[in-house]
Amino acid sequence: MSRSVGHSHHALGSTQDAARGTPYDVYLLGVGGQGVVTMGDLIADGAMEAGLPVNVYPTKGMAQRGGSVTVQVRLSYEVTGPEIPEGEADLVIAMERSEALRAVRYVRPGGDFLLYGHVWEPTKVMLGRADYPTLEQVCQKVHETGAELHYLDPQGLPQREGRPLPANVYVLGAAVRCTGLGRVLDAEAMAGVVARRWETYATVNEAAFRAGLEAGVDDA
Amino acid sequence: MTIRLITGNEAVALGALRAGVKVVTGYPGTPSSGALASLVSMELGDDRHVEWSTNEKVAIEIAGGLAWAGQRAMCTMKMSGLNVASDALFSIAHSGVNGALVIYVADDPGAHAGMVEQDSRGYARMMDLPMLEPTTVAEAYELMPLAFELSERCGSPVFVRSVTSIANSHAPVDVGEPVPPEEREPILEWDITKYTKAGSAIAQAQHRQVIERLGRAGEIVRQMGLNELQMAEHPGGLGIVAAGVTVSYLGEGLKIAAAQGCGWFDGAHHGLERVSVLKVRGTNPVPEEEVRALLEHVEDVVILEELEPYVEERVILEAHRIGFEGRIVGKLDGTLERVGSYGVREVVCAILAGCKPDLSGSKPDLHEEAEELVAARPITVCAGCPHRGTYMAINQALRNLKLKKDEVMVTGDIGCTILGMNEPFETVWNEVAMGSSVSLAQGYVYSGLETPVIATIGDSTFFHAGMPGLINAVQHRVSLTLIIMDNGWTAMTGMQTNPGTEEAFQPKGNYQVDLAKLVPAMGVEHFFVIDPFQLDEATAAVEKALELPGVKVILSRQECAIQAQRRGIKAGAAEVDVEACTLCRKCITITGCPAISLGEDAIVIDEALCYGCGLCAQVCPFDAIEREGE
Repeated sequence: MSRSVGHSHHALGSTQDAARGTPYDVYLLGVGGQGVVTMGDLIADGAMEAGLPVNVYPTKGMAQRGGSVTVQVRLSYEVTGPEIPEGEADLVIAMERSEALRAVRYVRPGGDFLLYGHVWEPTKVMLGRADYPTLEQVCQKVHETGAELHYLDPQGLPQREGRPLPANVYVLGAAVRCTGLGRVLDAEAMAGVVARRWETYATVNEAAFRAGLEAGVDDA
Repeated sequence: MTIRLITGNEAVALGALRAGVKVVTGYPGTPSSGALASLVSMELGDDRHVEWSTNEKVAIEIAGGLAWAGQRAMCTMKMSGLNVASDALFSIAHSGVNGALVIYVADDPGAHAGMVEQDSRGYARMMDLPMLEPTTVAEAYELMPLAFELSERCGSPVFVRSVTSIANSHAPVDVGEPVPPEEREPILEWDITKYTKAGSAIAQAQHRQVIERLGRAGEIVRQMGLNELQMAEHPGGLGIVAAGVTVSYLGEGLKIAAAQGCGWFDGAHHGLERVSVLKVRGTNPVPEEEVRALLEHVEDVVILEELEPYVEERVILEAHRIGFEGRIVGKLDGTLERVGSYGVREVVCAILAGCKPDLSGSKPDLHEEAEELVAARPITVCAGCPHRGTYMAINQALRNLKLKKDEVMVTGDIGCTILGMNEPFETVWNEVAMGSSVSLAQGYVYSGLETPVIATIGDSTFFHAGMPGLINAVQHRVSLTLIIMDNGWTAMTGMQTNPGTEEAFQPKGNYQVDLAKLVPAMGVEHFFVIDPFQLDEATAAVEKALELPGVKVILSRQECAIQAQRRGIKAGAAEVDVEACTLCRKCITITGCPAISLGEDAIVIDEALCYGCGLCAQVCPFDAIEREGE
């Protein structure tokens, strides 16, 4: 985890046309309450605005909060089934360290794996009655897939007026910035999508997205 | 037409509006709930009626009555709901309909939401009802008007079946304006040979008619061109029969299979050119003619369908009839499983088996060791959930009565209340079907247990199918304790209203059936109402009930905390006295509340998550949690 990436220095627009029409699969996952489903919705809105075909399939089991949540986003397919095949996801966005391991089977060799290192310990772990994977273990497993790991430190989540910015929108910004998603969806267009999604918190969310665009991501 | 991003469920709802549906009934159940829920949230005007009915049987009877009166009706449910509706639906199927009756049922291959993994296509076959299946979200919209048309043209109820991955997927759909229901005089037709089942002559005539209607339906579906046959130019090669969602994976699966060395070479022609495909959207009746045409054209055939081999069995039958000599690859030859949902992997696996049985293909590395490191996340009730207090009261009452937990049967039921099976409560033992907890408990009482037997159930589940069980227990004077955990909403499926929901939150003009009045009127001898947030009183009530003879009912009442908080209501707030907290962890091990975590010197309560129920304060041995708002 060494190289921190600075500001965007390539014109997103120029590569976008080439990426259009090429199928692109995003596998998002985390814990219920982290806003993973919303991230899928935002990507879908961005795709709709860009006129790209999209299928978004969230699965969240029975829990309102605290359970595993996944969203499978399939972009630019003429016709597509909802589920991404194992080893075929172009991008994984994992919002929680332990949950990230569930996505290892989905990322394709050479794909992007964005890990937001938030730790949400289940009760048993908190009480010391169960194990929780170390960051090194998770990174190791991602490396074994041949995917490119991008690590986003939750400590870096900026605050605004004393409150942390919404992590999901922040991470989405980072994904557009440092992964192949930025070649499919335009960063400025996505900032607009984020701002329009919420009536009341438009500024906070757009700020979170832009902070993500400038986030220090470690390419480990 | 405008392109909108909608779910498969919404597509079904909007498609029904496009078809001029007049009345929609249903009962919530994942993955089907989103269809009716989206209609409930729309301004539909006075010429349509949409309702969450008490259960699926009630819902299908209302829709059936509408269709007999010549109108267009739809009824929605999950696969388990179809089990409940089936008794009435069988009868309606054999009578036929005058208007249109479309039954939307959503199956859950992979059982993401729990319950029996079942294939509702079996009902279509058993009831001789036509069934249509969309293969994508957009098709769910397009199929609905055709389903209504089919129902009216063949005079039969029609199933539209989807699965979780279509029902819950969002995709762009070209949506047209809703079409208002046609103004039709209600039909009142006196015909006991059609509308009753009284006698063998009537019943057998109806049996004949339902079979004839299905035949007509097959003909209409053929005219509609729903079952698409794409034949390779030259005979030979591989045939694929795909049904439902598997159709959407074909393109990708064929490409991957070809890349893995699958080829159908005969000199000039090769690869994908040698593949013939039958896409089945009308799964009942299985399109025999198209299947036959495909079999006559190809060398080997692959059948792709999730869950049961219903299409495959018909393909084998047709193959037998025409003396097909090729290989038939599917579930019955062991290539594919009858369990779980299908994706590209299953499609590739079957194509490889069909193309080159000796070619196993390169299996993707599933990195299973990575998943072994994942921390398990057993689901529990939300912070502030009133059910927490009820489980805690049951557990405490058993301790007070010196009863061991593994000696006292606590039957469970469907919905959020089943979460009492998990840590830290481990109160609830089992789960069968809507309302089963009460009668299951009666069975345990008859088994000769000397310890008390408790049944637990939620409010909506009690209205749905728990009432007959309670009436039975009252009639037979069975000694058991039923605890109705009344949070005012049908919560687990996404907060729908039920008969007990407060009138202010029900659709305008509805009446609230108050459990506090209903239950005593059912002849229950001992009736208690408790507040699950008052642990001592709740525990005392459970203790007392367990010691009394006869049928005891405890109504444990507090609104679902999620719903209350959506209106900005909290029960209070909790604050930790850092000096007093000894980090004994009792608050965590007894309540399992997601708002509490371990800090450096004291426990920490997440202010945003905490509902202020105060249960943690009531179990703290050191009075280290202060509850405000009391």
